[in-house]
Amino acid sequence: MNQPKSISVRSFLLSLLLMVSGFGSNLMAQDGKALFQTNCASCHAINKKLTGPALAGFQDRGPWADRKKLYAWVHNPMGYSKSDPYAANLLKEYNGVVMTSFPQLSEKEIDAIADYIINYKDPTPPRPSGETAPASDNSFLFGILALALAVVALTLLQVNSNLKKLTDEKDGVFAGEPIPFWKNKAYIATGIILLFLTGGYLIAQSAIGLGRQTNYQPEQPIYYSHKVHAGINQVNCLYCHGGAMEGKHANIPSVNVCMNCHAAINEYKGPKLVKADGEEVNGTNEIKKLYSYSGWDPAVNKYTKPGKPIEWIKIHSLPDHVYFNHSQHVKAGGVQCQTCHGEIQKMDEVYQFSNLSMGWCVNCHRTTNVKFKENGFYSMYEKFHNDIKSGKMDSVTVEKIGGTECQKCHY
Amino acid sequence: MRTTKILSFGLMALLATGFTSCFRAGGHNTGTVYMPDMAYSRAVETYAYRDSSKFTTDANDAGFKIYYDATPVAGTIKRGGVSVFPLTKDAGSDTANYVASKQVVNPLPALNEAEMAEAKRLYNVNCGICHGEKLDGNGPLYKGGEGPYPIAPKNLVADPVVSKMPEGQMMYSVTYGKNLMGSYAAQLSTRQRWMVIHYVKSMQPGNQLTAPAATAPAADTTKKTK
Repeated sequence: MNQPKSISVRSFLLSLLLMVSGFGSNLMAQDGKALFQTNCASCHAINKKLTGPALAGFQDRGPWADRKKLYAWVHNPMGYSKSDPYAANLLKEYNGVVMTSFPQLSEKEIDAIADYIINYKDPTPPRPSGETAPASDNSFLFGILALALAVVALTLLQVNSNLKKLTDEKDGVFAGEPIPFWKNKAYIATGIILLFLTGGYLIAQSAIGLGRQTNYQPEQPIYYSHKVHAGINQVNCLYCHGGAMEGKHANIPSVNVCMNCHAAINEYKGPKLVKADGEEVNGTNEIKKLYSYSGWDPAVNKYTKPGKPIEWIKIHSLPDHVYFNHSQHVKAGGVQCQTCHGEIQKMDEVYQFSNLSMGWCVNCHRTTNVKFKENGFYSMYEKFHNDIKSGKMDSVTVEKIGGTECQKCHY
Repeated sequence: MRTTKILSFGLMALLATGFTSCFRAGGHNTGTVYMPDMAYSRAVETYAYRDSSKFTTDANDAGFKIYYDATPVAGTIKRGGVSVFPLTKDAGSDTANYVASKQVVNPLPALNEAEMAEAKRLYNVNCGICHGEKLDGNGPLYKGGEGPYPIAPKNLVADPVVSKMPEGQMMYSVTYGKNLMGSYAAQLSTRQRWMVIHYVKSMQPGNQLTAPAATAPAADTTKKTK
């Protein structure tokens, strides 16, 4: 009994020791990470050449295996490069742009950073396995149910008439050959009425829908996911569509706006992307398409070719006889993008959410209250301001300030 | 009689199927409009396709085709704007203008409360995504190294390089880009860029006193939300 106990005690002590030592080295690595992020990460990445070279495997290159030379370089890159041909070459490779000197970093701190880089493992985030299947549409089920019921009803009718025929025969009444249902006037009349009702309904609905493009979801030249950009990465809508605040059009960003971030972000590591037809999309390839438009060469981090615009396909179109201005709604009215465009931040491929019909516009103008207070845009409506002050009215709808007048949008 | 009956039924069925299937938008189908001459603009609209056989952006072809250049004349100042940034972009690894930009002063006077709120909004929309709403260089794109952006954006409040940087040099970086940061001249007007620089300067340690109008309402709003 004694021996196992001592072994367990020993192993416990050993594991404790391991844990402590592990903890210690972990702290060091964390320090290195923090130091790296505050001092180096604005120009260097570990596995990617950016403003400065990629730092992975630096210990195998040039003189850097010798820590003393590394200290000298970090403390004074310009001075060191004069005495070392490898460093001088580096300067040439980066067009004479010298690394910032870090005289304030102690040798221990440089060691911590170096150890962090040597021990760094690229965290490959586990890909979430696809999206959950879309909720099945109930209307299909109901359709089947209705069909089954109709068949049952028809059979029952048939059985009924057969039974009637049998009883009639038994009673000795001869009813004569029954009329087949396609010649039965009652059946024909019901059929025609049904046809006119459904046909008329469909024609009326579709005629109203002419020129409306709800659910239009074209395939764009680049698979640009609003879900990834505006949803997951929280890029503000106005970052790219700044015109929504400034003028009539919300603006589709030019390629240089994409390149603000994508000069550095050249691979996609987020959740799986799927097209509307179920085809999987390689995000990194889509970013490469962007590079081919912008003329950017990610290998040398430079624009090597002239750029050309991306011909995005316009989804939301209003007829020419309607005037719509984004800034009026976004800046003066304070309307959220999602009110008209739906939950864009959850859409991979954008589709038209609202039908953009006149009824839809007018309905919103009738029910929406204008942000009247502290809004210089409406200062001219003195009567309403006075009425609000005296308590005669508590809010002003868009309709009350002329939002349903024809000439507001049609002129 | 019988033929007209059949014909009218057929016509109706055709209309119904046509209306429901072909004319309705959805998926890759744009649907159909009636009166296309009222739906599509004859005037050149923003983002409308311009026929290259009729229009040109090349000044040499002007006269043969309709010359249309959307860029404003160099040096144009829009109403209510400020004069454009006087320095041009350095070529290659030259840093002459970057250094010279230290001498350029912010043409805007200190911002009032409403302007500062607008500057903060502009910062949060355009800069906050990388530099963070707290200006700590840790925006949602970087997220302490876990976001998609591979390198750390500059900490605008704690990094002495930025907190000591003259406003003119910040303007140079915002206008022409610096390192991996792109130019924001396309997204922010000259006035808006100077406003954002006022805001960033007002948030840096030691500078807060220069903009008392800005810090006081900020404290007020946080109190209200709490």
